[in-house]
Amino acid sequence: MSKPKVASDWMAGCAGCHMSLLDMDERIIQIAELVDLRSTPITDLKHPDESGVDVGILEGGINNTSNEEVAKMMRKRCKILVALGDCAVFGGVPAMRNFFTIEETLRRAYVETESTDSEGKIPDDPELAKPTRVRAVHEVVPVDIFVPGCPPDADTIFYVLSELAQGRRPVMKDDKLHWH
Amino acid sequence: MITLTIDGQKIEVPEGTTVLNAARKAGIHIPTLCDHPHLKPYGGCRLCMVEIEGFRTLQASCTIPASNNMVVRTTSDQIRKARKFVLTLIFSERNHFCPYCQVSGSDCELQNAAYGEGMTHWPLQPNWQPYPMDASHPYFILEHNRCILCRRCIRACSELVGANTLGVEERGAKTFVIADLNVPLGESSCVSCGMCVQVCPTGALIDRRSAYRGQNTTVDHHQTVCVGCSVGCGLDILTRDQQLIRIDGNWDAKVNGGVTCKVGRFYPAFDDRERIKTPLVRKNGTLQPVSWEEALNAAAEKIKTDSGDGLAALASTRLPLESLALFRQLFADRLRSEMVTSTEEGSRTAILSKWAEKLGKAFEGNIDQVHEAGAFFIMGADLINEHEVLGFFIRRRFPEGIKLIVVDEDQNQLGDLAHCALTPQKKSLAVLLKGLIAAVAKLGQNRIPFEGQPDEEVQKASSACGVASDLLLEAAFQLTNSEKPIVIYDPAITNDEMMSLLITLSQTTGATMISIKGGANAMGAAQLGMDKSFKLNGHQVAYIAIGDEEPKEKLIQQIENCSGIIVQASYYSRLTAMADVVLPVVNWLEQDGHFINLDGRLQTATKALQPPETVWTNEAVLTALAEKLGMIIESDWESVATQRPSPVSIAA
Repeated sequence: MSKPKVASDWMAGCAGCHMSLLDMDERIIQIAELVDLRSTPITDLKHPDESGVDVGILEGGINNTSNEEVAKMMRKRCKILVALGDCAVFGGVPAMRNFFTIEETLRRAYVETESTDSEGKIPDDPELAKPTRVRAVHEVVPVDIFVPGCPPDADTIFYVLSELAQGRRPVMKDDKLHWH
Repeated sequence: MITLTIDGQKIEVPEGTTVLNAARKAGIHIPTLCDHPHLKPYGGCRLCMVEIEGFRTLQASCTIPASNNMVVRTTSDQIRKARKFVLTLIFSERNHFCPYCQVSGSDCELQNAAYGEGMTHWPLQPNWQPYPMDASHPYFILEHNRCILCRRCIRACSELVGANTLGVEERGAKTFVIADLNVPLGESSCVSCGMCVQVCPTGALIDRRSAYRGQNTTVDHHQTVCVGCSVGCGLDILTRDQQLIRIDGNWDAKVNGGVTCKVGRFYPAFDDRERIKTPLVRKNGTLQPVSWEEALNAAAEKIKTDSGDGLAALASTRLPLESLALFRQLFADRLRSEMVTSTEEGSRTAILSKWAEKLGKAFEGNIDQVHEAGAFFIMGADLINEHEVLGFFIRRRFPEGIKLIVVDEDQNQLGDLAHCALTPQKKSLAVLLKGLIAAVAKLGQNRIPFEGQPDEEVQKASSACGVASDLLLEAAFQLTNSEKPIVIYDPAITNDEMMSLLITLSQTTGATMISIKGGANAMGAAQLGMDKSFKLNGHQVAYIAIGDEEPKEKLIQQIENCSGIIVQASYYSRLTAMADVVLPVVNWLEQDGHFINLDGRLQTATKALQPPETVWTNEAVLTALAEKLGMIIESDWESVATQRPSPVSIAA
């Protein structure tokens, strides 16, 4: 049997969940032996194979039209979609902005910041992705496995990946279930 | 007793037990949120739903009483689905994002419930409705976004404290916890006891000092006794790395059952007085840090030159019996000073001890009786501003229909709540008491014979004290028509005549007497005979073991002219600034020892924090000082504390 293909990507998050993944230290070699690691934000290949992967992992919530594309592409190209971390699962810290309007948050970030001079303006290049309300991944595409945590422990991520690599479905409970 | 079956297990419980409590008794776990073991069942959150045979729908186990032969199931697919749905709805209402919440990790009962149901995500996302945060209160913050509307805070505010400050406005999803008629907490009628914070299951009520400094699982717990007043509440002190994190009322403490007031809960954490960390001796007019050896020698020198009649010694009633006994032994027994007393000067206890001696027995009851009394006659004691927990115990019983009679020459805020508020003219409390005793006789309710004409006596007293005779009769009626009435008084305003009248009033109405004693160990100091009025009469040297008490202005003025002032203290104050020798000692959180509270409970305080290295215990200082004076002293508090006749029966 060929090794299961795994791809990952990140959206509206802090990359901390991927850092936590790296935090599993030498066990990453075990994972590498078990799976065929395809595209990730920290390796060269940037998009999951068009021919599809077995497991897709998404970190971060969905806070603009670009994230939507990333999530939809991953969903389309993977068999099992994993929402990794509190942002992907719930919306997380970025979702704090949902308590304000998008205009308010943009103005705060680009115009009213203490370090911004009178030239400050909200970027409006048509090439830019359009910001939206921050959503959990499962609000945009169906998710198969939720791995909450801010970030999830390296041990938890190792457990999830090794289970998936061996064709089992990880069960998130007890010491592996933390929302932080 | 009735028998029911829960999850196949036969359980016998007394009639009236809820299904939830029956399950708990059998060790069967049912998740709950709005339920709290010290509050009445409420049935608000619906997390505790169970299946009961014969019932069409799931039932809330916290409110449904168990009945004979009931068959209950606590786990089934239907129940788990219902619980998950309840949690899903709660999470969808407000901001329950865990990563930036103070209670996330182990202290959040909502998070724990979600883990218990194996929830990996929220099936419904929040509706992003922002709620305000009320940070107007000096001690804690009400973060509405974290509120799940379980109403524990509201119930604690009324059921435990009787303050009734918290309530809700609006209904359904718009329901909102408010203070009074929706004013900021800091401007409300809140008494700052913090019971709401203690019972909040989420991060909706967090106290300013402990927030983000450690969770229940990462802190150490120490059970000790509050030294704020003579109620002597049991406290749970939370510390971490030798830092005070938070103080909670100890639910298991008999005297207060978990309830405490701002003095015990918040004052210590907000105490910003500067700590004395090294012994100081005055040299060339200024206090200078010295070694313990030098400081003790300097103190001994001052005492030696002016021992006996020239020496006055005063100790704080916040010190344990161990310290007070050594203090008395050194200064009264060994150094033969006739002016050895406490910072309370027996202002409340002296007259009580005298009457205990006279009657040859304890004549007061205990705090537990407050929970059963049908009427309270309160004279002088301002239980809104001191001995607050005793006030809570009375106020929280209003819904049960208790009657409150308040007698005070001055403003007494409890009077606003009283059924009968009697405000006699100045210096006519004794006359009023006479009138009341006569009024009881006039109603024919007197339990002891009354000499004279009740009618006349009531009229006479009424015109003499300025309280209408109708009011006297009303008060007498309330007192005699209630079960187990209690007379609560402040001995500081009494004299022999009034004590005698109070005792007569209690006897004729069958009332129990309870008095407030002042400081945590005022009763202890009294038992050790340290209850004189502090007067300097040619005394040259004053030795003051003030501990962590804030010195009163009067004391500072009294000792101003002493040629030698030695102070044993935890914090810098105007008193230490006057001293010639300052000996740094532990504060209340750093000491072990015993205290006698207002109803005679001999309680044990245990050390919660390690004192700074250069700071000694009061006992160590006194023993070392005695050695310098060539004396050996040993604490004999256990034998001494119960020797003197006491107004209350003293027992552990």
